[in-house]
This record gives sequence, C-alpha cells and structure tokens, in this order.
Amino acid sequence: MSEPLVHIRNFRMDFGSQTVVRDLSFDVNAGETFGFLGSNGSGKTTTLRALLGIYQATAGTLHIAGKAFEPRDGVRLGYLPEERGLYKKESVLDVMVYFGMLKGLSRQGATSRSLAYLERVSLAAKASTRVDKLSGGQQQKIQLGVTIMNDPELLILDEPTQGFDPVNRRLLMDIIEDQKRSGATVIMVTHQMEEVERLCDRVILLKDGVAEAYGTIEDVQDLYGGTIIRLHHSGTLPASDLYDVTMAEHDYAELTPKAGTDETDILRDLVHQGVEVRSFTTARTSLEEIFIKVYGEQDLGENTLSEQNLPVGA
Amino acid sequence: MASHNLKTVIGFEFFRIIKKRRFWVTTLAIPAAVAIVFGLVIISGNSSSTTADAQKNARLAFQYTDASGLVTDALAGTFGGTRTSDNAEAIAAVRAGTLEAYFAFPADPAKQPIRVYGTDKGVFDNGRYEAVATQILVSAAQQKIDSPQLTAVTQGKVKTKSQTYKDGQVSGGIGVVIPPLLFLVIFYLCIIMLGNQMLSTTLEEKENRVTEMILTTLNPTTLIIGKVTALFMVGLVQMTVFALPVVTGYVFFRSKLSLPDVDLSTLSLQPGPMIVGALLLAGGFLLFTGTLVAIVEVVPTVKEAGTAFAPRMNMLLLPFEVACLS
Repeated sequence: MSEPLVHIRNFRMDFGSQTVVRDLSFDVNAGETFGFLGSNGSGKTTTLRALLGIYQATAGTLHIAGKAFEPRDGVRLGYLPEERGLYKKESVLDVMVYFGMLKGLSRQGATSRSLAYLERVSLAAKASTRVDKLSGGQQQKIQLGVTIMNDPELLILDEPTQGFDPVNRRLLMDIIEDQKRSGATVIMVTHQMEEVERLCDRVILLKDGVAEAYGTIEDVQDLYGGTIIRLHHSGTLPASDLYDVTMAEHDYAELTPKAGTDETDILRDLVHQGVEVRSFTTARTSLEEIFIKVYGEQDLGENTLSEQNLPVGA
Repeated sequence: MASHNLKTVIGFEFFRIIKKRRFWVTTLAIPAAVAIVFGLVIISGNSSSTTADAQKNARLAFQYTDASGLVTDALAGTFGGTRTSDNAEAIAAVRAGTLEAYFAFPADPAKQPIRVYGTDKGVFDNGRYEAVATQILVSAAQQKIDSPQLTAVTQGKVKTKSQTYKDGQVSGGIGVVIPPLLFLVIFYLCIIMLGNQMLSTTLEEKENRVTEMILTTLNPTTLIIGKVTALFMVGLVQMTVFALPVVTGYVFFRSKLSLPDVDLSTLSLQPGPMIVGALLLAGGFLLFTGTLVAIVEVVPTVKEAGTAFAPRMNMLLLPFEVACLS
C-alpha cells in the first residue's frame, strides 16, 4: 500500500496550560477527499495550522508527503484558511496574479488562469475592481480562486462554503469536485453535512481535541446507529426489546434497531402487537443526525447562528 | 525558486505604491514647493539687485560733513553731493524739503554709524539714501588703499586650501569625514521618510488577515526582505524626485539663488571610514527593521503599532535633540 499523503501521529497542541488537541492520529491518502468534522473549538483549525507549520506542535509527527511542510518544497499546496482576507486596496486581478506568481506561475500564466476563473464564477467584470469594493461572498470566491490557482495536489479547505447562498455554494462545490476529479487530495473542514456526504470518502470527527470517530462515512454511520426506521402509524406504539424509540410525535416515530435485530422482525412485531402501520421505511442515519448526537443541540445551534451572521455570497 | 519569489514580492510591493495617485501627490508636493521658493528667490533677487544697483548709482542733491577725512569733494561730487560746515542748517533744509538729503560721516566709520537724513520718498525708495552714503564711504576707502587685491583682502574675500598629515601620511581632515557621514544621512532619511510606511506594510498581512495564506506560499524572511527592498526602492524614487529641483537649481541657477560654491575635490573617499560607514548603515537598518518586525509581532493593527513606534523614533532622533539643546 502506498504512503499516505498526510500522516499525523500522536499530535498534541497546548496553548499555555490549555490542551486543545490531545494524541490525535490519522492519515489522508492520496486522491481521497477527507472530511474534518467537529464542533467549534474542537481543534480542527489548530490541527491544520500545525500541519502547515503555522503553529509549532507541542508533540507528535505531522507530515505531508513524508516530511514536515515547507512552503514551495514538495507537494503543490492550496490552502483556504478559516481566517479570510486579501490585499484590500489592490485590484482583484493584481491580487490573483501576485499569488499565482508566488505559487510558481509566470505572470502570463497567472493572468490567463485568473481571468478564466473569474469568468467561471461570473466575476470577469470585476477584474480591475478593488478587492474592498466586492461583497464578502465575492471576496471568498476570489480567495478560493487564489487557492486553486496552481492546480494543487493537496487542497486544504477550512469551511470553504461558509457564508454562501445555496446557488453559490453549489457552484463552489462543483469547483472543488473538479479539483477532486483532476486528482487532488482534498481535506475539507465544514459544518455542512450534505457537502460531506456528497464529496468525502472518509471523515474524522473531533471532539474536545480527540478523535470521536474515524473512517468511511458508512463506518461512522454504523458506529452511530447505522439504520433508522421511519414509521407512520395509528394506535399506541408499544415498548419492545427489538428497537429504541428515538423520536415519537402523534402518528410518526423514528426507531433504532437494537444490535443484531433485522428490520423485518421489527415490522412483524409491530403488526403482531396490533399497530396499524401506514408506512415503514428504513434509512441510514444521516451525518447531521450523528453530528447532533455527538455534539448535542447546543453546538449545532451555535454553528447555525454564527453562519447566519456571515456575509452572503453574491 | 526563492529568488523568483523575492522578485515577485519586490515587484508587487514596489508597483502597488508607485501606481497610487496619493504617492505622487505627496512626493511631488515637496519639489513643487522647492521650485516655487526658488522661483520667488530668483524673481526677488533680480528685483533687489536692480534696485540696489540703481540706488547705489543714483545721483542725489545732498550735503555732507566728513569727520573721518576720507571723503573727497570730487568723489562726493560724482554722487551729487556738496560739502557743508553747518549740519544744523542742512538738517533744517531737509526737514523743510528744500534739500533731498544730508549725510554726516563720523570720525571712526568702523565704530560709529553714518547719520543719514532725507526727505521721505516712500518705503522702498528711502533705502537709496543709506545705499549712496555707504557706497561713498566704500569708494573713499578703496581710493585710499589704491589696490583691488588689498581691498578684497580687507573685505575677507580670501580662499584657503588645507593639507594635514598624520603619521607621515596625508590625512584628509573634514574631507574624509563627510563621505561616510552620507551613510548616516541615508539612514535617517530612510527611517524618517519610510518608517511609518515600513511599519504599515509589514503589518498589512496581519491586518488584512492574509498571513496564513502568504505563509503557506513563501518563506517569511523572503517576504520581509522583499518588502523592505521595495520600500528602499520607493525611497530612492522619492529622493530622486526631491533632489531634482535642488540639483537643477544648483547647476543652472546657483548665482541667482546665492547658493554656496561646493568644492567636491576636497572630499576624500578612504576605504576604512567608508566601509565602517556602510556597515553602520547596514547594521542600523537591520536593527531598525528587526524592531519593526518585533512591533508587528505583538500588535494587531497599524494604529496600535504607531503608538508603539513613535517613542522608538524619538529615541533614534535623541542625539540630534540633545545636540540642539546643548
């Protein structure tokens, strides 16, 4: 088996007396899209910063392509940080060309790539506009363009669609998907679970600086309940050894089968106990449900609120 | 690859400043002001010179008394003067307006003033009385000496050329000290003209929140060196623009601007002092840049950096302030 592109072992990060990440280990394989999930303050961004040498790890090994990261030495990297910003007094094209050249492109190459990207995200008319004259969403599009300018082999995106409206979110997800198709390895921090389900091959869930779950999405779904039964019925829902009732409202309920129980046994039991079953469907537990289960309603509420306060993309 | 990045940073930082209209407005304001001052000096110089010449050579109907014995009747006559023995009557005639002027040359002109009485001709024309009285006395002294060279010497119009020796070798004197001092001048010009700009430009990535993106793209040392180099180049552009009117004025209008004649041949570029001067410039500049980077490290915005920066700038200028006060 080939070496993982990103290799993190026993990573620990302390800020003073506070430990933000403790003994974290995981790999990201070349060509895969990896979801980095967790509530606010769980240590996701800290891990990425340490991986890129912005923070110095307290302990552990953080390697990209077999060695500690150095700018322009090794893999082509595209990094979209959580903390967004560009040179505000310069024109959009000047900023994009500058970063393109810093990533090794010629002036001509950087210019043509910038103009092509601006065309794609419907900002061609803004090429000579000052960055601070753009909306927050437009600035984020520019920043994503800067990130993927050099066709990165490793693309690290810290909440890439944060603050975007649904239309622009879909556009940006398409762009990220293109990068994935062209062979880039993508590490993505996001709170948007549908993005994870659409794009990610594997995920890791961080909670209070430790890995809560790590593997394929199916692995994580299996770990946190696996299957859920959605039931429309009439009559009282009886207690049973075959399932747990995770939600019940009037004539609707969600049931989680107990370990080793088959869904058809549950249906047979319900009918046997006189429940009038109107509909009976099975589904995998969604990542959003798992997220709520792991982090609790409070964390989700915080995330949703903070996103509402961010600028909406144009 | 590092040199590609360095060139990219220098190019970006240099042209983004040079392209700004505000940069040229502030840069051109100083030479424009210098040009205006020079223009006024030339115009007023021409006017004053013409007026002084006219006043010196003016003919007046005046009377005079001479206790010094220097002024001859013939000389006074060429200016329109006649000798009198009654100074009270002459003053009364001036007061009555029947005589233009009366000059009383003292016994010791080196210590005592020439008493000048005249009818009022207006603020500007009244000056010709003193001009004529002084010119008469100067001409009288020159006649007495009867030698242009001696006259020049007595007026202090002499030149000197020094040669000093140290340990049997020619020592350049002040001519050796001046060239290395130019490094000091360059250092102070850099920090005074570019200090705030350097501070804001090195803090920009932090304030604009570009730090993380830029630090995963290039080495921080390359970034700082590129920025400082670009600012140094901007400083050279500014100094050139500032120097242009001064050099033009010196080369083409030196006499009209009454600028001193600088003899550059007395300056001596000796390797030892020049190397020490250059090293001090490089070391001082590095220290200054290091201080800036340290300030940038601990403060979040340009405003707060300015507060931390001001006392350090004052400390750099402290030697001059002490010298001025002492």
